[in-house]
Amino acid sequence: MDRLDELRGPVPPRPHDARAIAALAANPGCARRAVLDAAGIDKDATATHLGFPAPFGQSPFAITRGNVFEALVKESGCAELLRLLREILGLPIPLASYTDLGDVGGNPSAHLRHSHTRRLLDRAARDGDDAGTLYDHPLLRLDIAGHTSYLEPDVVAFRLGGRFHIVEIKSFSVIDGQAEPDKVAAAARQAAVYVLALRDTLEELGHDPARVSHDVVLVCPENFANRPAATLVDVRRELAVLRRQLARMTRVGAIVDALEPGLTFDLVPDAGGAPTRPVADLREAVRGVGARYAPDCLSTCDLCFFCRDEAASEGSTDLLGRQVRDALGGVATVAEALGLADGSLIPDEGQEEIARLLRLADRMYAEVS
Amino acid sequence: MSESLDDLEERINTLRSEIRRAVRAREGALARSLRAELRGAERAWDQALAAHEPTPDEAAPDEPPGSLLPVREQVHQALTLLGVPAAGKMIVAVHGALRAGSLRGPQLTSLRRDEERSFRTSPFARPYYLCAALTDRLSASRGLLAVSTWPLEKRVIGPLSPRVDFLTTAIRVAEHLLRLDEPAEQAPPGAQRLLARLAQNIPGAAPYGTGTPGAGAAVRGAGPGVVPGFAVPDPAVVVKAARAELAVHADADATARAEIAGRARDRLRDPERLFGGAMLTLARREA
Amino acid sequence: MSTLAALARLRAVHTGAAQRLATVRHCHLSERPMVLIPLRLAGEAAAPLAAMAGTDPARPRLLVVPQPRDRDLRFAFAAELAEILLPYIEGLQKATETVERRGAEPFERCVDAPQVIVPNRSAVAFVQLLGRSTRFRRAEGEYAVHPSVPVLGRWLTFLAQRAQYPGSASLLAATEAMSLHWATGQSALEDANLASLMGWIDPPPGMTGAEAAREAEDPLVWPPAGPATDPGFDSEVLAPAIRAYAETRSDRAAARVGEAVRSQLEPTWRLMWRAVGLLGALPAGPGVAARWEGDRASFTGFAAQLAEGGPPQPKRDGAVGAASRLARMERAQASYDAQRAYDDPLVMAGHRLTGEAFTGTVLAADPDHAEGEGRGRKLRPLLTVRTSDPVRLAAGTRLGTPERRGQQAEVVEITGGHVTLKIVKGMGRGRTASPGSVPEVGERVCYAALTDEYQPPASLPAPEDTPWTHGGPPPEHVPAVEEPDEEEWA
Ligand code: SF4
Repeated sequence: MDRLDELRGPVPPRPHDARAIAALAANPGCARRAVLDAAGIDKDATATHLGFPAPFGQSPFAITRGNVFEALVKESGCAELLRLLREILGLPIPLASYTDLGDVGGNPSAHLRHSHTRRLLDRAARDGDDAGTLYDHPLLRLDIAGHTSYLEPDVVAFRLGGRFHIVEIKSFSVIDGQAEPDKVAAAARQAAVYVLALRDTLEELGHDPARVSHDVVLVCPENFANRPAATLVDVRRELAVLRRQLARMTRVGAIVDALEPGLTFDLVPDAGGAPTRPVADLREAVRGVGARYAPDCLSTCDLCFFCRDEAASEGSTDLLGRQVRDALGGVATVAEALGLADGSLIPDEGQEEIARLLRLADRMYAEVS
Repeated sequence: MSESLDDLEERINTLRSEIRRAVRAREGALARSLRAELRGAERAWDQALAAHEPTPDEAAPDEPPGSLLPVREQVHQALTLLGVPAAGKMIVAVHGALRAGSLRGPQLTSLRRDEERSFRTSPFARPYYLCAALTDRLSASRGLLAVSTWPLEKRVIGPLSPRVDFLTTAIRVAEHLLRLDEPAEQAPPGAQRLLARLAQNIPGAAPYGTGTPGAGAAVRGAGPGVVPGFAVPDPAVVVKAARAELAVHADADATARAEIAGRARDRLRDPERLFGGAMLTLARREA
Repeated sequence: MSTLAALARLRAVHTGAAQRLATVRHCHLSERPMVLIPLRLAGEAAAPLAAMAGTDPARPRLLVVPQPRDRDLRFAFAAELAEILLPYIEGLQKATETVERRGAEPFERCVDAPQVIVPNRSAVAFVQLLGRSTRFRRAEGEYAVHPSVPVLGRWLTFLAQRAQYPGSASLLAATEAMSLHWATGQSALEDANLASLMGWIDPPPGMTGAEAAREAEDPLVWPPAGPATDPGFDSEVLAPAIRAYAETRSDRAAARVGEAVRSQLEPTWRLMWRAVGLLGALPAGPGVAARWEGDRASFTGFAAQLAEGGPPQPKRDGAVGAASRLARMERAQASYDAQRAYDDPLVMAGHRLTGEAFTGTVLAADPDHAEGEGRGRKLRPLLTVRTSDPVRLAAGTRLGTPERRGQQAEVVEITGGHVTLKIVKGMGRGRTASPGSVPEVGERVCYAALTDEYQPPASLPAPEDTPWTHGGPPPEHVPAVEEPDEEEWA
């Protein structure tokens, strides 16, 4: 994997958190992203240096709200959570034990904490139900394209009847039984990452990974009060997508091999960490790996503004979104589509039908507007 | 607000409008450097504000007279009432609800560290210290406070201890209200709310609709529950329901706590016994 | 997306300017609409932070919640919003007209109805949440609120429900209204940003639409149109201002929060009125008035229900109600699509491209053609139309035509550019077709397989608003007061 290190330059690979891993599945067709992620490159820093900083930010109000809600659910040994689990999963009263795997004292390394988590999970998997019920802050590990990422989930792993569940706490509200679908989907994608990581851990320990349920417990505030409510969410689909994408990333080797020798995304940081690589140079390097821009990138990938600009300068129809591309039958550029429409361009083989439609549309547009 | 804060705000506003102009005029480089300047000004503003913010002690002119006591006394009072290790948030809630105190979360943050320093300088000079609860790893439990005069068995935290201590907290709060010798509905609203919050997570303790059927379910509906908005649980019912669940966990918890306490006695010296051992040294000793 | 709309986007990219998607306006525009721009505190479901509202572009009212986590201040905000919205709504209830109906009692209908315009879909959703969080509140007892608050809640809920009804203009999202009439050179996702959409449609002098749209994405230049605020603004400006207010509760600190949110709202306020101006410059399509009649009837009905002391709208539709509502919505959507096509050749062109409609020239006409004998004889005028459109219609398909709105025809056969059809409805009841009802040879005609079953509501209230008291599902139990908001983080 030294080629990947070379691509990244002399900085440690950027650890992926669950959010980033969940986002990996967002644009699986993009080679640029696959390479950058596999090499653990800091895409945000890359985008910023290119002059296209990512448009993402989180409001401090949202962050505070999330922390406060999580603290509420977890306070007094997860008293609220126990109530919910008793209600929706029929957790028996005697099963009320709570272990904070993050509470190990001092400031030990991720590796040390992970082995602590492993030890306790191993014991939990071997013993009967009275061994433990709630495990807070498990430090999990997931291998991504040969790099180990530690996941520090604010989730609780919960065990009942020999099965583990992931409990994910989110502060968006469920009002009259409904929540914003995007938020639920994002939560499910993230929870799937944890399920996968927990399954991997159990498997390594010689246990059956299927003991981690694909039903995760999503805890959200209900209505306008702050009271938590729980729902079971099936994340099988998200798991499948994620697994597929992780497998693709391990196969990223083929793409990497095809890259020009000497190509690197090294920002050449100075002593203070500030990038010194000439911007034009970096731009050439990034352009050296093919992208597949789609408007969805605007909410999922740090490089979105750069790639959008690139797509615009190439006059790509990707810019306009899937629906338009579909309506254009996959014609790649604006100039080509317009040429077919006004008849100045002879359609290639297989383009006759869309060319006919476009010419007709062009005629009608002229006729009625 | 100080001069410099006002100045900075003005500067920030000017920068923001200059950026707007620069962007409009397509002067990308200028906009970028202005943006950097803006971030700097904003950071300076934040720092100035932090420096300017009154410290907690002088910031509470309207505290009720009860809070003339030093913070550690108030925390001690609350912990003594509860009789179990508690998180800062619970201490603040209990003190506010039952003692009409006005402790605030931030006041508690440095408490444990101060106590530890005092202890290390002159051990056992004070009648009590506010100290740590110890985890299974014999390290200080994050966020929990305890009292040094309690037996070690009370201060260590086994897997069931958070639940046991929560139920105990509910019992203590309910008993306190019972001692007030007046109907629950006439207890201070803060106390009612605290009890309601605790009760809703105990099967059979809340007047209706909450908790799981099972232990103590027979008492459902017995609460007075006449205050609109939320039903006030009957403290006697809360005590009964919490005791019922407590009975389920008590033995297992006591065994686990005794085992941890035993290890703590064997392996920790005085200061560590009160304020927790460092995990790494322990790991070595374990090996 | 039709090929036509896709082509319009391509042309927008090419020219750098938005392209028309409509030749007429398809939504009603009130003479005195109320523009409402709500902002919400990030991370909260329905904690209002501020709003700008009013019917006069020159005199926006600014409402501010200097500490959005304070329950009392939130309800004070609701009461203040009620002070603006309720007089507007009540003023429109005064003038009514009598609608005569064949075979039924005449009824009274308000001559106008409220029209609230918000920036985008998220603002519509926020209006709905605000309605949900206020309509069950009580004016007495513990947690009492100002009596206007639950009334406001019901009206907001009413508006939000109307917004789901295809073709209703009671509550409009500006981005959607604009996107209905113009195509930009960016994706639909980016069109949800009002400033960027308006950049394409109406760029400032000296700039292309594309340039204006890019500039509009910078939250420092164009604050987002809400309800979410710019995270940078939140951390750099709003958070310190709210903190200062929480600490001092002084008027000065409140004013600082007010100025902060004003800076975020004013640009959008101006944009909103520019959007209103652009829409107003388009001539209204013929179907607009009829659809607005539906809004007026619905408004009249709801006002009556409220005056009779009906209960607040239930929290959820019952299962049966939801299903029939869905079916109604689908029918309404089909009618709305059809009406727009019949009203607008540019919209019709989209259907012509898919083969559901065609235009052409009448080659031959047989206006006296009839089927059957004696008493069963029916007049069925025949037409042959030559068209170069890619018609894809099966024999027997029912067709309508924009030129003669009551008329219906049926496809008889289609052979290489010639469509033969017979007119089955709307040519008079005599032995021969009434004059002018059958197109003449050489006339340009357009036929489409789009059914417009839309009926302006015959009775009150409009069917989609049938209150549960009149046979709808019973409401679920509504507690006396909702559980108190526990503002633990305040
Ligand atoms: S923004 Fe660029 S790199 Fe990222 S996924 Fe999209 S196309 Fe790929």
